[in-house]
Amino acid sequence: MRDVGGRDAASGDLLLFTGCIAVALLAYGLPRPWAAELVGAIRRTALRPVVQLQSRAAQDRTSRFRLSTVQAAHDTLALRILEDSALRTENTQLRALVGLRQRGTMPWVPAEVLHRPTPTDGRALMLDVGTEQGIARFDPVMTPDGLLGSIWSASPIASTVLTWMHPDWRASAVTGDGTVMGILAPAVVGTSGQPLLELRGVALRDSLPNGTLVFTSGLGGVYPRMVPIGRVVGVEQDPLGYERLYRVAPFVNPGLVSHVMVLTAPRDSVYRLLPEDSLP
Amino acid sequence: MSSVWTGEGPRRRRASDRVRITMVIGILLLLEFYLRPSLVEGRGMPDFLLLALLLLCLRLSPGAAAVVGLCVGIVMDVLSPARFGANMLAHVLLGWGAAWGRAVFFADNLAVNAGLFFVGTWVRNLLVLLLSGATLGTLGAEAFFWSPLQGLTTAIVGVVVVVLFRDWLALRIDR
Repeated sequence: MRDVGGRDAASGDLLLFTGCIAVALLAYGLPRPWAAELVGAIRRTALRPVVQLQSRAAQDRTSRFRLSTVQAAHDTLALRILEDSALRTENTQLRALVGLRQRGTMPWVPAEVLHRPTPTDGRALMLDVGTEQGIARFDPVMTPDGLLGSIWSASPIASTVLTWMHPDWRASAVTGDGTVMGILAPAVVGTSGQPLLELRGVALRDSLPNGTLVFTSGLGGVYPRMVPIGRVVGVEQDPLGYERLYRVAPFVNPGLVSHVMVLTAPRDSVYRLLPEDSLP
Repeated sequence: MSSVWTGEGPRRRRASDRVRITMVIGILLLLEFYLRPSLVEGRGMPDFLLLALLLLCLRLSPGAAAVVGLCVGIVMDVLSPARFGANMLAHVLLGWGAAWGRAVFFADNLAVNAGLFFVGTWVRNLLVLLLSGATLGTLGAEAFFWSPLQGLTTAIVGVVVVVLFRDWLALRIDR
């Protein structure tokens, strides 16, 4: 006797499976801007309560376990400001002497990182702030230790950061003395697979000792100048012999970061006009 | 006439089963989106959302499990979008595979269920990484350290959930 019912059920399952795979492949092949729009739309509608719940959980964790750390950081900063007050007064007097106005401040928005226990968590992080707080695409994201990445997509209540661990991340970098420039990109080296950055495009005549600090150069109009990124920890030969490749250990670990600052001002770049208030 | 079976008993039982399963899934979702993030964060933490998917897959047909996998994948892709669609593909394959495996050859055994939770987490993580364009070094670290760790924690939590809510989930466990 033929098992018609069982065969129908099996073919129905196969149909559902094929349909799901087709939808998933369609989503996988979506262009990035469309995917970002879709993610934003789902976050502000269907998953809005979930995002808000996670945000609340992150705030609760901070108040429960990190309050003493935050208080210590606050006290350290207060002391630093007291120490630097004489320097700032001197700077103000000098600017007045040469006819410069006050230096413009860079507005920023504090944010909590909503981690997920997934293998790609370090590459793209979700923040609990969005366009309602003035966040926009390509806004730089920093921690007190240094650069984390930039905003990849923003919805009204949440946004996604593309961190330096993401394969698509790049930044123009410069050493502290401003003599050597290059492009930073993520690289995986060593048997431990420790994620590091690679400083590419350095001329063969330039050599950097281990420990050299690397900062953002401000080129490109995304990151402001002189944000610390990391420290040189080694050198590798370019297989083609055209350039030097330096390994850079970043200061910020995306997997551990819990609070960030999102800069919302126009970026300081050589391709942009200087702020009007800095002109004489 | 009272001895005539009207069909209301099993139907009512099915409805109460559904309510109980919904409650278990609700508890797991609350653990995933509020309790765990408010207490501890880390790569090796148990994935309650994946656990909910696997528990549902043990009861559903492969086709329905694939649909649930797609829904879970969308949620994961929206909340951690390293590569949109990667989680959807991984969870559809996982849902389908778990339900099909259950129907064909999985035994009703606590150790087998624990193994399913462990392997499911491990396979899901590797699939997501592969589809997100990970390098060999990252894959190695994930395959031999982080994924087994997360698989282990998820399996432990899964066993606890199965033991505690065995009747609610209508799971038969041979000892």
